[in-house]
Amino acid sequence: MSMKSTIKGLMGGAALALALSPVTAFAWSLEEAAEPYAGTTVDVVFLLRPGYEAAKKMLPEFEEKTGIKVNVTDMPYENALGEQVRDFVAGGDFDIALVDLVWIGNFAENEWIVPAEKFINDPALADPDLDLDDFFPLVLDAFGSWGGTLYGLPFDNYSGLLFYNSCMLEEAGFDGPPQTWTELKDEYGPALTKDGKYAFALQSKRNETQSADSFARVLWPFGGSFLDDEFRSNLMSEESQAGLKFRQDLMQYMPEGIVAYDHAEAVNALAQGDVAMITEWSSFYSTLKNPDTSTIGDCLAVAPEPEGPAGRKPALGGFSLAVASQADENEQAAAWLFIQWITSKENAAEYLELGGVPARQSVYEMEGVAEKYDFVPALVESWQEGVPEFRPRFAEWPEITEIVQEWGTKMMLGEVSTEEGAKEIGDRMEAVLEEAGYYDGEKPLVQ
Amino acid sequence: MLQKTQDLERGVPEETVNAGTASRGTMFSFLSPAVITLAVIGIAPLVFAIWTSMRDYNLTRLQRTPFVGLENYATVLTDSVFWDAMGRTFLLLILALPVQIAAGLGIALILHRPGLTFLKTIARLSLVIPMATTYAVVGLLGQIMFNLKYGVVNQLLGFVGIAPVNWLGHPTNAFAAIVFWDVWQWTPFCALVLLAGLTTVPGEIEEAARLETKSWWTVLRYVQLPFLIPGLTAVLILRTADTLKQFDMVFTMTRGGPGSSTELISLLIQRVGFRAFDQGLASAQAMILLVITIVLSRLYIRFFYREV
Repeated sequence: MSMKSTIKGLMGGAALALALSPVTAFAWSLEEAAEPYAGTTVDVVFLLRPGYEAAKKMLPEFEEKTGIKVNVTDMPYENALGEQVRDFVAGGDFDIALVDLVWIGNFAENEWIVPAEKFINDPALADPDLDLDDFFPLVLDAFGSWGGTLYGLPFDNYSGLLFYNSCMLEEAGFDGPPQTWTELKDEYGPALTKDGKYAFALQSKRNETQSADSFARVLWPFGGSFLDDEFRSNLMSEESQAGLKFRQDLMQYMPEGIVAYDHAEAVNALAQGDVAMITEWSSFYSTLKNPDTSTIGDCLAVAPEPEGPAGRKPALGGFSLAVASQADENEQAAAWLFIQWITSKENAAEYLELGGVPARQSVYEMEGVAEKYDFVPALVESWQEGVPEFRPRFAEWPEITEIVQEWGTKMMLGEVSTEEGAKEIGDRMEAVLEEAGYYDGEKPLVQ
Repeated sequence: MLQKTQDLERGVPEETVNAGTASRGTMFSFLSPAVITLAVIGIAPLVFAIWTSMRDYNLTRLQRTPFVGLENYATVLTDSVFWDAMGRTFLLLILALPVQIAAGLGIALILHRPGLTFLKTIARLSLVIPMATTYAVVGLLGQIMFNLKYGVVNQLLGFVGIAPVNWLGHPTNAFAAIVFWDVWQWTPFCALVLLAGLTTVPGEIEEAARLETKSWWTVLRYVQLPFLIPGLTAVLILRTADTLKQFDMVFTMTRGGPGSSTELISLLIQRVGFRAFDQGLASAQAMILLVITIVLSRLYIRFFYREV
């Protein structure tokens, strides 16, 4: 069953359950739904990023309405997967899973998270205004579902965008951002790299940033991919190699030591006027716009990522929230009510206002939103053209990303050629997939 | 019986002797907390790690953890990534330890000289500061201080006309930075241990030696050094063990990068075990590291300590 038909089925089921239920749609309220769970505490991991700060500001309202306490554990992204895996393996405390789109296969296959239909089909818990159709379909599919089953609702949502310093571009004689990657390298690169300033910074630190923000970013627009249809490495293909070689060429217009740049360094480089352009997650808009953390002020402008020969195919990343299987029934219900509330249509505008990036289409259609938040048109456009498997989402990704990080960085440092690096990654990636059982039919070829 | 006779000969009252030998229960009860604690926090995890190292034990595939015998060990021993990381770890040891010992000995000899008591007390106290700083904090400080654009290190170099150095974004420079930081943090430890060794030299022997020769090297080589050997052996063993498990500082400063240039063996084990979740392979790597540590310690004791 396809994802779309599954979600439609869920929506139909929810509607039917509501219609048959004595509790009519207009009678449902969060307060009443939460009554049996007042006093319940739910534990969740939050990251140290703007969307989570926004959610934390909204928490008191939820706790006041429901009597449910949401206990947040803050941690950096790099620790979040390990902490949650250990917690789930040990039967720990987390009642809500924070699921990066590349973790969903892992979490779902291990049955650490509960399919959302359990709650969507429960009229006592399902908000009649849940409206799954209102989520951007790409985002709901990529962030929240695995194998045709919906598990989580999109919470902290990103698309890669081109953030640029329009003043620097104007000074160099450009009246707009580059439309293609080739243009960025061949025209903007030489014109903007001078006097200690650089045209572009591609964050490439050896962690998930190397895999997601750097390596995958140059694969897809050039027609490449990690895997072919048979799940064999596609990194030696002409298209993948073209993308990887492009990255090597582009490095001449990036600051020295770009392999040590993580998000903070790239955002800071643009914020301080040291580079003219970066491709970063939409969630960093608030950091770049904030005068306390950025000096470029009104020079900040946002556009969709440049196109490659195969189209735009921008970086796609983000997190959903799903109910953890290890939670007891009361905690599961309370967890669902929180997830449903924080990702709701009703709260999307406030979440956006506080610095989050909701995945609700309706909020971006509201009058004045596109004018107030410069990134909105680019974001909406990007979410039409994204690739769900931008990074494969299967359970083996944590092992494979380590390989990509190691050899991707070695390529950038010139320690190996793009062919040698791609071969190493391909061989090691296939070994992981073989051991997992993809080649003997034990596991379906789903990514 | 012999012991009892000897005790009686030395005039130890019989009651006391009886109390000492008869109270096995007391002895056990005093020892058992330590033994049980060691068993729980040391022996049991070690046994579990050995068990895990012989399985295909991945945290994300716990439904299936088949016994694979020595396969993980074979994988580790033939993996160039493991030996590269081991090589970097020993390179750090070889580069940092001699500097730490030489500088530590120099500091110890200066502090051992008579006079300037107040200043020496201040110096001794200052020596504790680097050691007392949390390793992770040292790494975070390094990340800021070695920053290409805003770091104080490049600013200081700028004062003497040296262009900014890309410390953390260049493989060789990043390695040099962690060597520098390791030397900064652990030279004081060597200095304090060696200073303690110097204080064990009997004053009259040292004084006599100084009357015989004016050469500080002769005094150091033939009078002081023999007393420093136990301390030096301890320094070698402790610093080797510390370097082999060096993690916090490097993790917070470079995370093993750029590329693999600062990925020491402990960072590799952490990466395999807790980021790729392959606990079986990581346990095998850890067991091999343990064996190497034990062998090195025995070698140190055999070749250095015996000379005392």
